[in-house]
Amino acid sequence: MQALDNALARVGSVVLGKPEQLKLALACLLAGGHLLIEDLPGMGKTTLAHALARVFRLDYRRVQFTSDMLPADILGVSLFDPESGEFSLREGPVFSQLLLADEINRATPKTQGALLEAMEERQVTLDGLTRPLPSPFFVVATQNPVTQAGTFVLPESQLDRFLMRISLGYPAPEVELELLAGGDLREAVRELRPVIEPAGLVKLIAHVGKVRASRDLIDYVQRLLEATRADDRFAAGLSPRAGLGLLRAARAWALIHNRDYVLPEDVQAVWPSVAEHRLQPREGGQVAAITQSLLQTVPVVRG
Amino acid sequence: MARIYQVPSHARGWLTLAIIATSLPQLSDGPWWQSGLLLLVLGWRALVDRQRLALPGRLVRLVLLLATVAATWQSYGRLHGPEAGSALITALFALKYLELVSKRDAYVLIVLGYFVCATILLFHQGPLAALYVIGCLALLTASLAGINYSDTHARRRQHLGVAAVMLLQALPLAAILFVLVPRVAPLWNMQLDSGQARTGMSDSMSPGQVSRLTESAELAFRVQFEGQAPPPRQRYWRGLTYSYFDGTTWRQARPPGWSDRDTVYGGRGPQPDWYRDLRAADSGPAWRYRVIMAPSQQRWLYALAVPFTDLDGLALARDLRLVADAPVTGPLSYRVRSVPAAGAGATLDGAERELMLSLPEQGNARARRLAGEWRRRYRQDDALVRAALDYFRQQPFFYTLEPPPVTGDTVDRFLFDTRRGFCEHYASSFTFLMRAAGIPARVVAGYQGGEANGDYLQVRQYDAHAWSEVWLDGRWQRVDPTAAVAPERIELGLRQTLRNLGADQDGEGGGAFNRVPLLFQLQQWADYVDFNWQKWVLGYRQDQQRAFLERLLGAVTATRIALALLVAVLVTTALLALLVLSRRRDDPTRPLEREFRRLRQALRRRGLELPEASSAAVQSAVSGRWPGAATAAGHWRRYFEYLAYRLDQEPSGGQLRQLARRRRALLRALGR
Amino acid sequence: MVRNAWQRWLDRRLPRARQVRLDQRGIFILPSGYGYLYLLVAVLLFFGGINYENNLILGLCFLMIGLFVVAILHTYRNLSGLTLRAGGARSGFVGGQGSLEVVLIARRRGHRALWLRWLEQTAQEVSVERNEETGLWLNLPLTRRGARRPPRLRVESRYPLGLLRAWSLVALDQVCLAWPRPQQGAECPARGGDRERRPAPAAQNGSEEFRGLRGYVPGDALTQVDWKGYARGRGLNVKLFDEPASGRLWLRYDLLEGVPVEQRLSILCDWVLQLSRENRPFALWLPGAELPPGQGDEQRRRALDLLARHGEAD
Repeated sequence: MQALDNALARVGSVVLGKPEQLKLALACLLAGGHLLIEDLPGMGKTTLAHALARVFRLDYRRVQFTSDMLPADILGVSLFDPESGEFSLREGPVFSQLLLADEINRATPKTQGALLEAMEERQVTLDGLTRPLPSPFFVVATQNPVTQAGTFVLPESQLDRFLMRISLGYPAPEVELELLAGGDLREAVRELRPVIEPAGLVKLIAHVGKVRASRDLIDYVQRLLEATRADDRFAAGLSPRAGLGLLRAARAWALIHNRDYVLPEDVQAVWPSVAEHRLQPREGGQVAAITQSLLQTVPVVRG
Repeated sequence: MARIYQVPSHARGWLTLAIIATSLPQLSDGPWWQSGLLLLVLGWRALVDRQRLALPGRLVRLVLLLATVAATWQSYGRLHGPEAGSALITALFALKYLELVSKRDAYVLIVLGYFVCATILLFHQGPLAALYVIGCLALLTASLAGINYSDTHARRRQHLGVAAVMLLQALPLAAILFVLVPRVAPLWNMQLDSGQARTGMSDSMSPGQVSRLTESAELAFRVQFEGQAPPPRQRYWRGLTYSYFDGTTWRQARPPGWSDRDTVYGGRGPQPDWYRDLRAADSGPAWRYRVIMAPSQQRWLYALAVPFTDLDGLALARDLRLVADAPVTGPLSYRVRSVPAAGAGATLDGAERELMLSLPEQGNARARRLAGEWRRRYRQDDALVRAALDYFRQQPFFYTLEPPPVTGDTVDRFLFDTRRGFCEHYASSFTFLMRAAGIPARVVAGYQGGEANGDYLQVRQYDAHAWSEVWLDGRWQRVDPTAAVAPERIELGLRQTLRNLGADQDGEGGGAFNRVPLLFQLQQWADYVDFNWQKWVLGYRQDQQRAFLERLLGAVTATRIALALLVAVLVTTALLALLVLSRRRDDPTRPLEREFRRLRQALRRRGLELPEASSAAVQSAVSGRWPGAATAAGHWRRYFEYLAYRLDQEPSGGQLRQLARRRRALLRALGR
Repeated sequence: MVRNAWQRWLDRRLPRARQVRLDQRGIFILPSGYGYLYLLVAVLLFFGGINYENNLILGLCFLMIGLFVVAILHTYRNLSGLTLRAGGARSGFVGGQGSLEVVLIARRRGHRALWLRWLEQTAQEVSVERNEETGLWLNLPLTRRGARRPPRLRVESRYPLGLLRAWSLVALDQVCLAWPRPQQGAECPARGGDRERRPAPAAQNGSEEFRGLRGYVPGDALTQVDWKGYARGRGLNVKLFDEPASGRLWLRYDLLEGVPVEQRLSILCDWVLQLSRENRPFALWLPGAELPPGQGDEQRRRALDLLARHGEAD
């Protein structure tokens, strides 16, 4: 997939030194899933989202979430027009192809809920009228680490709506030097030229579904799910929905690597970003460490 | 209908079928009212299940129960004993079905079913009966499986499947128990009612009696020889001797004042003189064989020449025949060693000699005259015997199954007028002539010949025969006048003889023999099965078990048997457990997984533990430890991943072999 | 003493876990009542066979015994490999019943006619076919407030022949919350709202401080619509208010001084239920825990859970 490599390269030219995270973000997009980026402010979350929108020429909106935001601020409102004597719909920012929901955890649970429901349903019901959201439709939400003040933690049930959660982290020193020495990245993002049209992206997403996952591979995925359910270190295991997401993400990852079949490495590559945010530790355990350890203990091939 | 069935509907069908099947033999054997009762119960039950009728109340059930008991009493005159007991239990079985509501009722019903199965075996013991009972057991087991699976999704058929599988698995265990569990003597005596009169020898012989037997092809007994069987003309199976003649009928007799003690020795108490004398003469060649009797309802048994046995449950009589302790009501088998030379040990003195010469005061004057004539002409007894045989041979005597009836002086009429007769006519008149000539003689009744079937002989009722024994040279010698008249009867057997005589016999009375060859073949085959069944299953009694176990275990001691039983049962159970609980059957590892396992184990033997069980781990771990094998590891991994993850279907045999080749190449590369 | 030893032994052998797979360590097997009857019948047939010298009746007896042995294996097999996982929980009030979900997973083979019950409770029957999962809700009587761990779960099966019962005592790591039993209290132990400590007839958006306008969304209360503005042609908008802190109704534990702990909780519980029924917002304060204002089922559940967990060590 030359086009995908190009897309990655272009995004990589503005989000420096994070090739793995970029690939994951791209895989998430190709898998048709929503992405949650958890980071401190100023780590390039917005740049990443915007760059993705640019290379796929997606209709992009950014919403900064605040605590006084209401569902209508996201979904839109139905306004009464006294002249015509009719209600007309004013679409909210959710009617876009790529919505960057910045600092989603600053909004009240009610507002968060409205967005997440729209993400799940891919449609909005206003005034008794159901309106489909554009296609493709992605939400890239960013979240401050929960320790920050004035935030509403996303509940577990809603974290499940995000296919992946990634975190960019601080750049490596040499990358940071380059960053400091280089020009304005925001400007560069705006200059990015599209690589794939939205229609092409839709086709790619459809193609992801056709990437072959053999019985052996599906068995492996199932063993992983099962292991989380049986593991006492987690409060609860992964849901079947998580399993489907894992498989889909692995397919997208395989496609990025130019393969039409999934290897166990693909599953392992997307595993932490798909599984970690859906699992709660039981007694102050480190989810990341436990999740990672399952990759060692669950046999890829039974034998 | 307030009561709720706890027996699921998918189980009820099996229960009904089990009841019908287990009751059927009793219905065909027993009184008519039993069929009526079962039909009533089944009909009632069917109406209840369709909500047309209520279950009978307590009063109705009580009345039915009393009526059943009364009917049983009426039919059998008692309530105990095998027949009445079987009838009663079968009837109770049907009645219990009428009140079936709860799971507990079903359990009681099934327990009764086991007893009904046992009563079937009381009266039917063929291989087919055994198969039938196993079928009944399968139905009962299917019912059990049904009532214990109250899920409404259960399908009817799966219960029978479960039952069949479990029964099949239980069979080896049952076989081990059957062979090894020691048979003990009955704890208390139980006798089946002596059944209907059977065809066979009787304790007296009058004209026409033996010839009636020849109409029956029923089996009398079977014989299996150790080694070569004697030729047909030697096979005289002695059963009875008749020593008293009243002018028409020959009867068993013993000298006046003698008791069983003088004439029969059953192995208990001191050996009588005559027995010691016989044992003393026990020398020379012998035939060893096993006889398996069909039930005859009589005590006498059949054997050749002078039969010695272990005298366990049977006795030897002074007239050189075997007698069972009790009438033979079921299959009975005994081992015999017949020693012709031991006949030299017999004695004949005083009262016994007098008995063997006794004749009625008068009658049959012509025969007496003929005997007197021979006596004057031949001083030597053996010459006289030869002359008598010559007489039969030379005069126009005919061997026929349809002799003309004779009355009055039967011997005279036969010898001089009709001259047509069957073996009993010849034996009777010959013995009469001998006695009249002053030579001790007696009539022996039994069977002659027997057809070979496989490695054993079948002796049927139509092989019944009578012949004479005369006291010559201090021993009883067999003389068969029939052989003088119709030698082919002795050489070929009755069947062949009659076939030869077919022209003037018109096949009459031979209905039992003129069979279609194929059917005959089938019957022979069935008989072969039946024989082995009798011998190995029904006849597997104490002595046979001991003999078999001796061959199996060396010495037969309680500890050895217990040990053998324990080991055999444990080993079989362990094997069954492997079969039943095996993971492979439930969760078969696929060929590709086995291939991976092989490589993993091979690497482990070379000291390499994989950090995780994956093809990628194989490559990186092998390359890290044996850089020289990196290429081979890469080859293997690529092909493995191609088969496991890329291929649309399960890999073919050729592809798996190719993978195995790459595995071996990888392992070879490690060695370098 | 013996009981304790037995419990300790069980705890070692079958420790509490979220998911338990039954294997030979945890499966016990003994003949059932019917099994003993069956063996008795076999023994009777043995004597019958001996006395009638009937080898076929003996054979029938041996076949029955063989079947019994095979039944041991099959009964064991019916439990072996069954995986049980702690599922969801439904809380309940003290004196009532909560229920816990047990998920049965059949991986290699079906497991039929299983009877599940907490010790000393009535059983429920369930079957799981191969490669299936079934959830089963089992009621649990709640006698004491707080998190209640269920006793051991008895999983029993007599399938296929009912001759034997195989069972296991599984300790699943799950918890059922027992809410306090609601008890009518004279006064609402609340601060805030109006002076009489009666819950205020709270408007949806609090009461006083006007914050601004926003577009009307269907479902907004008509009382909140800025009708004046609408009349002036400013469109249909809704007035937004900030809820003043003083207007919030705080149910407070410390207002019930002199009342025993459990009773206080019961009274608070009753008020939580009552306010929820009336669909009014409320907040809850307990020593060491507080619940911010809210309303609806979620709020009600949280409040009840908080009451249930009050005083827990953690």
